[in-house]
Amino acid sequence: MSQQLPEVLASVFKKIPNLVFKEQTARRLRVELRPDALPALLELLKGRAGYLHLSAISCVDWPENDEFELVYHLWSYEIKTLVSAHIYIPKKPGRYISVYDIYTPAAFFERDIHEMFGVYFEGSPDMEPFILTEWSGPPPMLKSFSSLGYVEETFKWEQYSPDWLKEIEANGGSIVE
Amino acid sequence: MTKNIPIKSDPNTDIACRTPDMEERSLLRKVIDRIADRCRSRSLFILHYCTGCGAIELPPTITSRFDSERLGIQPMVTPRQADILLITGYLSIKTLKRVILTYEQMSAPKYVIGMGSCTINGGMYWHSYATIKRLQEYMPVDMYMAGCMPRPEAIQQGFLQLIDNIDKGKANAWKEYYYQYDKYLGNQQALFGPDWHTPTDVIAEARHYDLFSDNTIGEHTALLAKFASKYVTLQHKEIVK
Repeated sequence: MSQQLPEVLASVFKKIPNLVFKEQTARRLRVELRPDALPALLELLKGRAGYLHLSAISCVDWPENDEFELVYHLWSYEIKTLVSAHIYIPKKPGRYISVYDIYTPAAFFERDIHEMFGVYFEGSPDMEPFILTEWSGPPPMLKSFSSLGYVEETFKWEQYSPDWLKEIEANGGSIVE
Repeated sequence: MTKNIPIKSDPNTDIACRTPDMEERSLLRKVIDRIADRCRSRSLFILHYCTGCGAIELPPTITSRFDSERLGIQPMVTPRQADILLITGYLSIKTLKRVILTYEQMSAPKYVIGMGSCTINGGMYWHSYATIKRLQEYMPVDMYMAGCMPRPEAIQQGFLQLIDNIDKGKANAWKEYYYQYDKYLGNQQALFGPDWHTPTDVIAEARHYDLFSDNTIGEHTALLAKFASKYVTLQHKEIVK
C-alpha cells in the first residue's frame, strides 16, 4: 500500500507517532491517530502536502465506549487525495483544542459540533448557538437524547380520526364537501 | 328599531356625534361587506413563505401552465400588501418566529393557508425536535392543503375553495387571532420562552377593530406587560393589574 502513497504524504505520516493509515479507495485515506498529535498532522499536511481545504469536521457519538469520534476531512488540490483524520476523545469532559488557527473554516464546524454534540473546542472564536438559537435542551444529536420523547412532551398531535368525522361517516358522509 | 337620523342639525349636539346603534350599522355593513367580500375574493395577493420543500409546486401554479392569475391570485413581495400567507411545508421553531412576525405585519383581513402535510401534523418530520407539528396552535389557519407535496391542481382547488369562502364571508379565521390572542400567545411562549413578544401590540389592535373578547387577555398576555412594556399600551397594563 505504501508504494502507491505519494511520497510527500508518506513522509508526513512518518513524522507522527502512533499513526495508523488505511487506504480505502485510490483517493481516500483513513488515518487514525492520537488526539494530541492531530494539530501537528494538520500543520504538516497544510505546509508540505498542499492540503489547503478542510472540507468538514464530523462528529460521531459512541455511547458504548463513552467517546466522541472527530473526523477531519482534508483535501489537496495537488495530490487529489482525501485524507480523513480520525481521533477519539473521551465524552467527559468532552473538550478538545480548536484548529481555527490552522484552518479558519473550522470555526463554523466546531461551533456546529458544540451545538449538536456539546463538545467544547478551546480556542475557537465563537461557541455561541449557531442554528439552534431557540434551543435550551441537551445537545440533540447525542444518542442519549430521545427525539421522540421530546416531541411527545412538547407538541400536541392532530387526531387522525376525530369524533366529529366518525359521526359524519356513520351517517354516510365524508369530509369532502 | 331604526331611529331617524336628523340630516340637518347642530354639529355640537349629542345627536350629531352619537354612534349609530348596532342594528342600524349592521344593515349598512351587510350591504357593504357583501360587495367588499366579493371584490376581495377576486383579487388576492399571496405572500409565500417557502422555507419548506413545497415551494417547488408554486412556479407551475403561478406561471403559464396553471396560471393562477386567472383566479386573481398572484404573488406579492411584502407582508403589508399581501392577503394570503401561504406556508409551504415544514416550519422549524426558528422559522415559526419569523412567520409570526410576518403574520402580525399583514393587514386584515388576512388568510393563512397551510400547504403540505407538515403544517397539519408534522408530516415526515413528525419526530423531529426542531419542527412544529400543528400550525393552527400558533396562528389561525383558514385552510390546509394536504399532500406531500400537493400538486398544482390541488393548490388551484384550494384557492378556489378559499375564494368561495371569502365570497360567502366564511373565511374569518384572522379574527380568531384577536379573540383568542391569549391562547395563541401561550402556545408561542411554550416554545420561545416566557419573554417572547413581537413589536405588534395585538391587544390594542383588537380594541381598535372591536374584536376584543374575554379571551384576548389572560395569564399569558400578562407576561407581556412584564417583558414587552415598550410595545404594549398603558391601557392594557392597567387592565392586567
